[in-house]
Amino acid sequence: MLGSVERDLARRALDTARTRGATYADVRFVRRSVEDVLVKNGHLENVDRSDTYGFAVRTIADGAWGFAASPVLTAAEADRVAALAVEVARASALTKREGARLAAVKPVTATYTTPIEIDPWSMSFDSRVTLLLDADAAMKQAQPTLRTTRASYEIWKEEKLFLSSEGADIAQTLYETGASIAAESVGNGEQQIRTYPGSGGRSQNTAGWEYALKWDFVANAPRIAEEAVALLTAQQCPQDIRTSVILSSNQLMLQCHESCGHPIELDRALGTEAAFAGTSFLTTDRLGTFRYGSEHVNIAIDSTRKGGLGTFGYDDEGVPASEGWAVKDGIFVGYLMSRETAASMGKASNGTMRADGWSRLPLIRMTNVSVMPGSAGTLEDLIADTDDGIYMDTNRSWSIDDRRLNFQFGTQVGWQIKNGKRTTMLRNPTYTGITPEFWGSCDAVCSESEWVMWGTPNCGKGQPGQIGHTGHGAAPARFTNVRVGVVS
Amino acid sequence: MGETALRSICDKALAAVDGDQAEAVVIARNAALTRFANAAIHQNVVSREAQLRVRVVRGKRVAMVTTDRLDDEGIRRAASEASELAKLTPENPTFGGLPGDRGLRPAPSAFVERTADATPLDRARAAKQLCDAARTASLSAAGYVSTNVQELAIANSRGVWAYAPATTSDVELAALGDAGSAFAQRLSLDFGTLDVAGCAQEAVEKATAAQKPRDLAPGTHEVILEPYAVRDMISFLGSQLTGLAVEEGRSFVIGKLGQKVTGDVTLVDDPFDPKGLPRAFDLEGQPSERLVLIERGVAKAVVYDSQTAHRTGAKNTGHALPPNPFQPSAPMHLRLEPGGKTREELIKSCKRGVLVTRFWYTRWVHQLRTIVTGMTRDGTFAIEDGQIAYPVKNFRFTQSYHDALGGTLGVGSELALLVPGEQFGLQVSSYRVPALRLAAFTFTGATQY
Repeated sequence: MLGSVERDLARRALDTARTRGATYADVRFVRRSVEDVLVKNGHLENVDRSDTYGFAVRTIADGAWGFAASPVLTAAEADRVAALAVEVARASALTKREGARLAAVKPVTATYTTPIEIDPWSMSFDSRVTLLLDADAAMKQAQPTLRTTRASYEIWKEEKLFLSSEGADIAQTLYETGASIAAESVGNGEQQIRTYPGSGGRSQNTAGWEYALKWDFVANAPRIAEEAVALLTAQQCPQDIRTSVILSSNQLMLQCHESCGHPIELDRALGTEAAFAGTSFLTTDRLGTFRYGSEHVNIAIDSTRKGGLGTFGYDDEGVPASEGWAVKDGIFVGYLMSRETAASMGKASNGTMRADGWSRLPLIRMTNVSVMPGSAGTLEDLIADTDDGIYMDTNRSWSIDDRRLNFQFGTQVGWQIKNGKRTTMLRNPTYTGITPEFWGSCDAVCSESEWVMWGTPNCGKGQPGQIGHTGHGAAPARFTNVRVGVVS
Repeated sequence: MGETALRSICDKALAAVDGDQAEAVVIARNAALTRFANAAIHQNVVSREAQLRVRVVRGKRVAMVTTDRLDDEGIRRAASEASELAKLTPENPTFGGLPGDRGLRPAPSAFVERTADATPLDRARAAKQLCDAARTASLSAAGYVSTNVQELAIANSRGVWAYAPATTSDVELAALGDAGSAFAQRLSLDFGTLDVAGCAQEAVEKATAAQKPRDLAPGTHEVILEPYAVRDMISFLGSQLTGLAVEEGRSFVIGKLGQKVTGDVTLVDDPFDPKGLPRAFDLEGQPSERLVLIERGVAKAVVYDSQTAHRTGAKNTGHALPPNPFQPSAPMHLRLEPGGKTREELIKSCKRGVLVTRFWYTRWVHQLRTIVTGMTRDGTFAIEDGQIAYPVKNFRFTQSYHDALGGTLGVGSELALLVPGEQFGLQVSSYRVPALRLAAFTFTGATQY
């Protein structure tokens, strides 16, 4: 963990900020180590390791916000950056309408470390790469006609130290591991892809190397390869029909991310993302009363749950991890909040402010926003319970409007369901809808045994842009009367 | 930091490497962005950043390490770690070695001292100007004012040395009413000439006209696309005009070079365009060629980086991005050549159609067919009898972009300088695009506002 050198610089920066007139200041030191490795078509295509390390000072002065950051770790630079953060805050005050207010939080001295079983940074490089080479070879061996095969992993370690002018002193070490395989086929005027276990990027958790091992890539590679090739000649998804749709667990997690996770961000609801990410149809007057979905829909906000990419000890404002609800029995009941936005609602922060490394400002980010399991049994039970519909698996395309109402998703593969059985494979499946109507049509969610904690390590937000890592648990679920097949 | 300092960092890194070949890249940035919403500044950041990336080659073994510790010890450690990692990696038989020095033709300067000197108060004043303009029209304002200084230095053991400093400044404004909004953006290398007032006027006037949008049935409509929307189309199509997209079988020009693939438009990648963000070299320090990619609808060329060129036997055109196995190259200075009609003439020539200000959340549905889905946003209007008739609620579209360009009915005479989405720090790309009139664009749904 980061130690006395960083702590001394942080205290110095806090003192400088206070001396310059800041009424509040916090300092974050972040050291992030990441290794990305990609095997493509049987060869090691990319080995990329990075080690980024710096600090940022966030201040309130004259009632307005300032922020400055630097990778230079010296006393003089700590002074310069702290003074600059105050200067920036004073400039912000030029347009101030009301002073910044923060919901109270008890300042603590604490540490937190992600619980892991196998430290990926301690094992041999060769053993990590072998996992990819074997998986890639298994795909190619199963289907030599594949145009492209890929296998990749990312391991991540982030050490953070947070000190505030209120007295907080929090050190954390977070680990993440992600991995995936992909098979791409070309022919018959088509280009198709199958990935495993999640969609395009990586499936990732706060975990050690045990997370990469759990997916048994070699065993699953032939199935993924065969499906990628079969899609070239599969039947086109029916066009512009309405039918029941069962979404796989990994597709439902993205549906949740886009149509629930983002609209419950209180900064969006309050308009502070209006120019870029957008606003939210979940306006503050709807809190506690708006029917977001059917009674089967329960969506949790939980940064304490093991494995999620939104699992930590404290957020980047020093607020402890917490559990709560966004949607309970179909009713919208909770936002993701910062200390400032919570204060505007007369509430306490639920600890969702996170920054992308040392050089970025903390923003409200999804922690683990999860569709909680229902009682529909297994996926096969749910299919057996469906007379007519389409099962859609693993995301390929996603888009939603700037208030998070009109969405359209495409998945990599679909299967027709007839009389309770999965039948014909379908290519290019898509579905579209309006968020509360869609979730209102949910009539079944599979049980705990099908529930998986997925990770989205590529969530964009903010200006300057930041990439967030968010967690989403989900089990397969069924939706009725869905518009399917938007494009051929 | 200056050329001498960056050269010194690269030299130290190359000297510390244990390998057959090595490359050192330094990206140094001083980036500032003042963000406002609800007509007040709420996020205001300044960040000094500098990173060294060392790529080491041992035979066919390659590894990269990136650090932002740029003191002697940090440089040595990065070089050493990359060297050790390269020893451990399995061979990649497709790796073609680092490219050598091919000389660089000078490009116009992209650095303006006045932008580098901009202060937090300068940016706050510009933000206030935008907020005040919206408030005067009873609108709310959200957006940003940004100034950036970046330096890029590339050296390798085969004699490559390339260095370019650059500045950019840009403003973005979404003017928001109770029922309707509009968007405008301006970008300049020179903060002193950044057209803040023009940005405010465009967004405020359009937002005033955008209030109380009506329903208009989705379907296939003739469209006038403002440059912000055209930028999105060109960005998606540009990503398919690469050697890798052809190699992987996902480009719409596969087997069609020399053939008509779209309408009467000409798309050029011009790294030397003095009205863009010029830079003479790519991210491997190779000279970037001016390329006509599509000429009057005929596919002419795609761009390459060193490795894709090596694998496919093509010529390296000098379009490498930072090493990235998923998109190693891209056209970074795209210009859709202007036509002869003003925006007003394009609208006047449209009997019945839809004017789109910008697209939002656009994603591939089917790359090979260039089918993209997304939303319209911040100013969508019905056109009737050659005039903007009334605002309409936003649409979802699902449309092949190159098919849509196939129905080009008119090209605007003025080009807007835009960056591909918001960028902070290293701005590798810029677009200069006109408004377009297209015969058919497929709106597949609508939203509630």
